[in-house]
Amino acid sequence: MTIAGRIYRRLAEAFPHEFRMAYGDQMLEAGEDSMRRLANKHGAAGIVRLIVDIALHLPLEYLSEMRQDMRYAARALAKSPSYALVGILSLALGIGLTTNVYTQAWALLTRTLTGVANPHQLVTAETPASYPYIERYREQKDLLTGVAAVQNSVEFNVALPGQTAKPDRVYGQLVSPDYFSVLGMEPQRGRLLSAELDKTGITPAVVISDRYWRSHFNADPDTIGQSIRLNGQNATIVGVTPTKFDGALTVTPAEIFVPITVPATLAPELGDDVLHNRNLKPFQLLMRLAPGVTIDSAESALDGITRRLDKDDPLAPPQADKAKRLVLMGAATRVQIPRDLRPKLLGFYTFLMTIIIAIACLNLATMALARGIGRRKELAIRLGVGASRFRLIRQMVTEGILLSLLGGAAGFALAWALAAITAHTRLPAGSPLNPDRSVDWQTAIFAFMLAVACGIGFSILPALQATKTDVAPALKQGMALQLSGHKRFGLRNLAMSAQVAGSLLLLLVTGFLVLGILKSNSIQTNFNPKTMAFLFIDPVRDGYSPEKSQAFFDRLPDRLRSSPAITSFALAVQPPFLPGDDGDFHLTVDDPHASSPVQKGVLKQTVGAGFFAVLNEPILAGREFDERDQRLDTTPAQANIGPPLPLVLNQKAARAFFGSVNGIGEHLRGDRRTYEVVGVVPDMKDASGMTQGIAYLPLTRHDFAQPPSGGITIVARGHSAEDALGGVRSVVASMDPNLTLFNVQTLSEYLELIRAAMRSALRTFGGIGLFGLVLSAVGLAGVTGYAVAQRRKEIGIRMALGAHKTQVLGLVLREGATLVAVGTVVGFLGSVALAKAMSAITTEFSDAFSLGVGDPRLLIGAPLLLAGLALLACYIPASRAMAIDPLKALRQE
Amino acid sequence: MTKVDLQSFLPLKTQWFHIMLSLAGGEQHGYGIMQDVLERTTGKVHLWPATLYGSIKRLIEADLIGESNDRPAPELDDARRRYYRLTSLGKRVLDAECERLQELVRTIQVKRTMVTE
Repeated sequence: MTIAGRIYRRLAEAFPHEFRMAYGDQMLEAGEDSMRRLANKHGAAGIVRLIVDIALHLPLEYLSEMRQDMRYAARALAKSPSYALVGILSLALGIGLTTNVYTQAWALLTRTLTGVANPHQLVTAETPASYPYIERYREQKDLLTGVAAVQNSVEFNVALPGQTAKPDRVYGQLVSPDYFSVLGMEPQRGRLLSAELDKTGITPAVVISDRYWRSHFNADPDTIGQSIRLNGQNATIVGVTPTKFDGALTVTPAEIFVPITVPATLAPELGDDVLHNRNLKPFQLLMRLAPGVTIDSAESALDGITRRLDKDDPLAPPQADKAKRLVLMGAATRVQIPRDLRPKLLGFYTFLMTIIIAIACLNLATMALARGIGRRKELAIRLGVGASRFRLIRQMVTEGILLSLLGGAAGFALAWALAAITAHTRLPAGSPLNPDRSVDWQTAIFAFMLAVACGIGFSILPALQATKTDVAPALKQGMALQLSGHKRFGLRNLAMSAQVAGSLLLLLVTGFLVLGILKSNSIQTNFNPKTMAFLFIDPVRDGYSPEKSQAFFDRLPDRLRSSPAITSFALAVQPPFLPGDDGDFHLTVDDPHASSPVQKGVLKQTVGAGFFAVLNEPILAGREFDERDQRLDTTPAQANIGPPLPLVLNQKAARAFFGSVNGIGEHLRGDRRTYEVVGVVPDMKDASGMTQGIAYLPLTRHDFAQPPSGGITIVARGHSAEDALGGVRSVVASMDPNLTLFNVQTLSEYLELIRAAMRSALRTFGGIGLFGLVLSAVGLAGVTGYAVAQRRKEIGIRMALGAHKTQVLGLVLREGATLVAVGTVVGFLGSVALAKAMSAITTEFSDAFSLGVGDPRLLIGAPLLLAGLALLACYIPASRAMAIDPLKALRQE
Repeated sequence: MTKVDLQSFLPLKTQWFHIMLSLAGGEQHGYGIMQDVLERTTGKVHLWPATLYGSIKRLIEADLIGESNDRPAPELDDARRRYYRLTSLGKRVLDAECERLQELVRTIQVKRTMVTE
């Protein structure tokens, strides 16, 4: 046979089974006959036409079959509306929640930033670095094509042209001018920052984000070149970032990008000669690997360089210390995850999404199995008249996909709604806008693929099972073929138990998280929370010189004291109860006699005079900071000289260092300084429910000259929070009406905001747990209902022979109860094992897990709840079985 | 069957029309139809095999043609071949299509005489 003939035959054999049965031989014959004739008459052109004709019709025939299948599937679903409705609802919940997890977590971890060229080349280090080190990294041209320095979540007071009101507080990034070229980004308008143009000494040029441009300038093209006041200094807007870009290496969106070449008067973060001081490490690294360089080779090379640089630093860890000095991770996603944690985190979310979807699929599969049994006669007829088994399976799978697509559409709508709710949830004080987590076309594709996979997933096994039929007995007996018996329902029982197990697993795991979050959310105060308020103030970013700012804070306490509305107050870097801290802090007991002195890591919090008095916390030993401490001058240049700084420990930290709740007068070393312990205070739970070892450092004149990025917090109490607020406001206004007070909040509002953020997490996890519960109940009810319907005849006979109603009830319930019991045991063991594994491998969840795991309410309550609900779900159809009239049931067959 | 039903098939697709026209003369098998059309149109219309059988399948689904049980004498028959015939609906649709085409031709002729005058 010629090659053309062989191609033709192959194509003809690839046509759908039904088509081949009817026309295959004839088409082959006609083709081979024409081929000879065509070759004689038209030569190669004719043969090509012939082949093209058959090649074009091949996909058309499949499409037409698919259309037919779809039509048939739609009719079949319309005929059993309750099955369709329950199915669509289950799938909508399953797909909707999975899509929600995808948009809220997965996409945040995996999706690369918009507008970035070759994102896989972007890397960052897990720890920040000093600028002199960054300059050395920059010299490694064969390793890195660019290294930018970034300081995150820097707040600026911004006054727009013509703005008469007080300036807005805007989040931004302080970046080296090569930031955008390392990202490989093109401007949307104007120009981005560049190392050539943005040099020291010129009027500072800044770039604004697309979002800020739209929200504050109405996307006006004339924005470029406009002059704004930034922390009281002049700056010019030179460009707008591409759409949707709001900063690399940050979760909180940056609205303004300011080069580090601006003077320290504009950005106090640049004080202390931070660009030349190798002891200060405020900069995140944003690096682009040279082509062909792997992240591992770059890491080991940079680690070696860092180690060499550390040799000249007496305070760096000893050279014998083998620990890596620099660890790289990918930088192109919204959230950066250490490389070793990444698979675990993605694994958790994959697991969560898989189990949600699996439960929905199992639910549908049990229903489809039951339905398949009911359709045996129909299927047997179709097999009998020559339909291929493959065709029938395809038909049933098509039905599944159609159902799943309908469910998927509803699920996508659900995910959209959930995303809209999340987007409107406000975050606690100081946190800026939520990053954009709305659904988009990628989410839609995800939901669509998920729906197709689900449709195939839940219908393929039932289809295989239902078409595995002996035609003759099925035709003769129809539905009555399978009257009872656990064995016949093997696959279905397995699916049902797996569903109960999966639901319990989901309920418990989400329950652990929910309980953990709830427990962590109970902040206890020794005073009435309605009497406290916070305000933030930042004179330096309002244009004050460091000296003027210091003078302001020197006078402030007396003025606040004289206000009748304020009963007590204190200054601090952070408001109390905020989860988080000023950073890790390693302290060593300064004991010349010890061979290996005790060294511990604690959290650092910087607080002012009278901080614990405002909180009504007792002082367990020694004293707390007073205004003398607040007047200390402690510029880093003076480190290691002068008297030790006072330090207050909480109980946990004191125990860690000294084994007891004392240690007054002891010296600790750390952070290039010596500290003397002057007091011990009780442990306080923070808003995330944890009590950690904390070292409290005094707020000093250095902090006033160069306030931290979030400003200085004034914590004030009065007869009511509103009184206190009014008092502080009028005091500050009387000192300088131009000073901005921002993030003004009462403690109640603040706690409410924290709770709102928690509630959003609760809603997600609680919703997922509840979803599993509802689905397994629906599934059980459906399956038991089918079992009852199928056993009508048997039940009828039993009742006719004198079986009591309760015996019938027991008969039906027993089967359901066995399934529930097996599922419950498996699910329980699985979830405890999983929770243990989870808290062992990821720190992200371990806090919540460790608080939630082991709560007897959950460990006993959840299985009982599920089992109870499941039995109820069985009871309803079972009680219907009791109402069967034996005569009617027997006549029906 | 109402008139509306017939109209919904019109105008007939070219391949459908040629296949149905070939069957108007009597039962025919697929390959026969192909050759018949080729001869009738002096090679201008070539029904390629896949097009032909795809159209036959759809014509059967639309109930315009059906499979015939009458087979030729055994010595002329090939067991693989299936024979097709017009259904009564098919006949009426073909009539309606022919009438439509005649109407069209008449209109064209009238127009042409108007132009030449």
